[in-house]
Amino acid sequence: MNRVAVHRILYLCTLLAAFAAMLLSCGKEGGSAPAGEAAKAKSGGELNIYIWSAYLPQEVIDEFTRRTGVEVHYDVYDSNEALLEKLQSGVADYDLVVPSDYLTRILIGEKLIQPLDKSKLSHLGNLDPRFLDKPYDRGNAYTLPYLWGTTGIGYDKTKVGTVDSWAALFDPRHKGRILMLDDVREVFGVALRSMGRSINERDPAVLGRAAEMLKKQKALVATYNSGDFANILAAGDVDLAQGYNGQLAEAVQEHPERLAYVVPKEGGTIWIDNVAIPAKARHAANALAFIDYVMEPEVNARIVNGVHYASANLPARKLIKPEILGDRAIFPDDATIARCELIEDLGDTTTLLDRYWTEIKSQ
Amino acid sequence: MTDHQRRLRPSFSRQRALLTAHSWAVYLFLYAPIAILVVYSFNEGRQTAIWTGFTFDWYAHLLENELILRAVKNSLVVATTTTVVTTLAGTMVALALARFRFLGRAATQAALYLPVIVPEVVIGAALLTFFGVARLRLGLGTVVVAHVAFCISYVAIVVRARLAGLDRSLEEAAADLGAGAWDAFRRVTLPLILPGVVAGALLVFTVSIDDYVVTSFVAGVGSTTLPLQIYSMLKVGVTPEVNAVSTLLLLATVVLIAVAQRLQGRQGGLSGVEET
Amino acid sequence: MPDAPAQRRRLGAYLLALPTWVILGGAFLVPLAIMLGLSFAQRSTYGGIQPVDDLAAYVASGNFLANYARSLEPTYLQIYWRSLWLAVVTTALCLVVSYPIAYFVAVLAPRRWKGTLLALVVIPFWTSFLIRTYAWMLILRTEGLANTVLLKLGLVQAPLSLLYNDFAVMIGLVYAELPFMILPLFASLEKLDRSLLEAGNDLGAGDVSTFFRITVPLTMPGIVAGILLVFIPSLGQFVVSDLLGGAKTVLVGNLIQNQFAVARNKPFGAAIAFELTVVVLLLLWAYAAYARRQGNGASREVLL
Repeated sequence: MNRVAVHRILYLCTLLAAFAAMLLSCGKEGGSAPAGEAAKAKSGGELNIYIWSAYLPQEVIDEFTRRTGVEVHYDVYDSNEALLEKLQSGVADYDLVVPSDYLTRILIGEKLIQPLDKSKLSHLGNLDPRFLDKPYDRGNAYTLPYLWGTTGIGYDKTKVGTVDSWAALFDPRHKGRILMLDDVREVFGVALRSMGRSINERDPAVLGRAAEMLKKQKALVATYNSGDFANILAAGDVDLAQGYNGQLAEAVQEHPERLAYVVPKEGGTIWIDNVAIPAKARHAANALAFIDYVMEPEVNARIVNGVHYASANLPARKLIKPEILGDRAIFPDDATIARCELIEDLGDTTTLLDRYWTEIKSQ
Repeated sequence: MTDHQRRLRPSFSRQRALLTAHSWAVYLFLYAPIAILVVYSFNEGRQTAIWTGFTFDWYAHLLENELILRAVKNSLVVATTTTVVTTLAGTMVALALARFRFLGRAATQAALYLPVIVPEVVIGAALLTFFGVARLRLGLGTVVVAHVAFCISYVAIVVRARLAGLDRSLEEAAADLGAGAWDAFRRVTLPLILPGVVAGALLVFTVSIDDYVVTSFVAGVGSTTLPLQIYSMLKVGVTPEVNAVSTLLLLATVVLIAVAQRLQGRQGGLSGVEET
Repeated sequence: MPDAPAQRRRLGAYLLALPTWVILGGAFLVPLAIMLGLSFAQRSTYGGIQPVDDLAAYVASGNFLANYARSLEPTYLQIYWRSLWLAVVTTALCLVVSYPIAYFVAVLAPRRWKGTLLALVVIPFWTSFLIRTYAWMLILRTEGLANTVLLKLGLVQAPLSLLYNDFAVMIGLVYAELPFMILPLFASLEKLDRSLLEAGNDLGAGDVSTFFRITVPLTMPGIVAGILLVFIPSLGQFVVSDLLGGAKTVLVGNLIQNQFAVARNKPFGAAIAFELTVVVLLLLWAYAAYARRQGNGASREVLL
């Protein structure tokens, strides 16, 4: 009887191993260049991309491989801190990364990314000057803007009417029907802008007042969620959701009679994600080629059409689908952009903010 | 159950009924989210909360989704390797702890608790720092090393529990009858602890195949496992594609179990102890 | 006993333990030691580690304990208490729910089906934890399955608030930890000698008595193992309270996760984690001492 049990387990293991082997064999073909290009790919080299999820359509990658023979691998991360962690370890083997604005300054300071060889980039002229030469990378020595967006409020018109101010998120009438991002800077940003202050405020007294506002607000909040906020709003579990414009714009497009998105009049956050090459990248030349590639108008338009976020590329606009280009949630007007701020890293004040955040959350 | 037993204990069948009912309730509890998961994999709409129609589309998308397929492959490779290595090493060390007195015994036991006690985020960060210092490039290898490191305790603890209180007299009898150490182990101890070993192996496989936190720290190029892949997809918005991959995996494991059950049915049972 | 076999046996012990020593030592203890060292350091301006120029002065000034001191402030103590409470309740619930089903599969089920029934317990956990938790959100929503069923059956008049609160977190935690209680219990119950139970009955003991005076003590190793494997990880959980609890509670797990992932204050996070580790190890040691005094050899064996 014991022998039987042993046999049974061995059998199970064999089956599992066979299953794994089967997947292994089909895995070799998939996940990279199509089989026919294998020889060409060998000669073209490799490119390892580390990027936000759903930020790069597969077909754009495949087209790059077809043209250059470079075999592209890509992995995803969901937070700037995760990217920072990997780069700081020194053993993550990535050639192209996409840090947000505030992380870029840190990466430059810690020498984790390398300067870009502009002579190899022929499409630089396509970039929108509004997004160049930012404080975190003067002269764009290290990075170039990729995609950008805003943080605002998605809301159910039929339930709460028209919303144009952050005050709606503090309104007791909506108790239990509010969603906030689970992000300390974004949430504090709301309180600070409501107070007429900058989202990069460092004065402890001001931050203390903002913290008090948020502690009082907590009773009205159903949930803090940075991933699924658009779905939760669309499903009707909340009536007001603070969130990023891309996902909320998608939800609004699917339910235009019910939902709307607004960047409140007090202004909010604008964020810019940039392409950069890690200092230790083994295939920097391929990375540079890829950066140049995504700046081509046609390619850039395909990216925008695929991921529903705005890019910083002017010629591409002609090729972007009208419903996306015309969507003011994705492509806001200058006035809206003017009242938004970029998040900057607060250095040592981060610890104070973290303490307040813990207090707010643990009430 | 003999007639004698049945006559003496009329309450036995009521007990049995209650236990059966409770077990059904627990299985229902365990499978309720699974049922939802499977049903919504056929949902037409992208948002999972609202049912809009029936479709196989997501399964079709799935088979073209190289990222997911590669992630599944990675997860299976890692989980299988981890299970094999930890089951062997864990069972061995459990035996050593239970049957021998040796230098470092208490320290080993204490050390085996650490992976269960220390929060995963700390283990992950510690391993990432370590790999950085040791200049080990992140990849499938580092994921396996990480998994083995923190899963070994599960096997050791479960097998220890099985060994504890095990009747030594059987092993002593085998020794008295002239069986060598290896023979006594193979023919007496091993069958007795086998359910514990299997339980431990199942536990490790479960832990490894669904581990997100530690893996997120130590995965590198091309070593995205399924939990990482799913997490990244969920972050953007739950699509039924994610449900589809889980349903397929579920189907695969159910088929495996059914086959194993068929084999078992022909030849006997899992228990190593004869029912008297 | 002759020396040679005894020495051979001890050598056998070392050989058996060697793979674990190599694995744990190299891939676990060394990284952990590095982390421990970091817990005495301070966070630098951008989330790195502040280099220490004068180690002697640093230690002498007591600054190296700054993180530990901070972790004992009231805000954080409140978090530890809440986490402890939640973990205790989760473990108790898990035990109560798991024991009958483990008993059923190990003792009452036909031998042919044991393996399958056990595997059926575990299979749900081979799907993504995240998706299962999302599925629970679907069930517990205001318009979700649970409320729909309750309303249809007329058990409630208005939908209950089942999500984004402690109730949902509890369900999520119990759900996540169930197999870690069922499997060790099964391993212990499976080897239960049924004749002992019958003997108890023959001697006149009722069912309840038999259960508490024979079954439970005999399966104590499994119970202890299960409690360990459920209680301790419950303390470190953070996903459940983020999703099902609406991220409105901070448990120890959330706190530590936050330090590593967002606040980028690894030293502080590491300090809290090691405090947690020490506390749990102390609890284990205390229980082992108590068990030894009770003369319960079996459970002592599990722990030491």
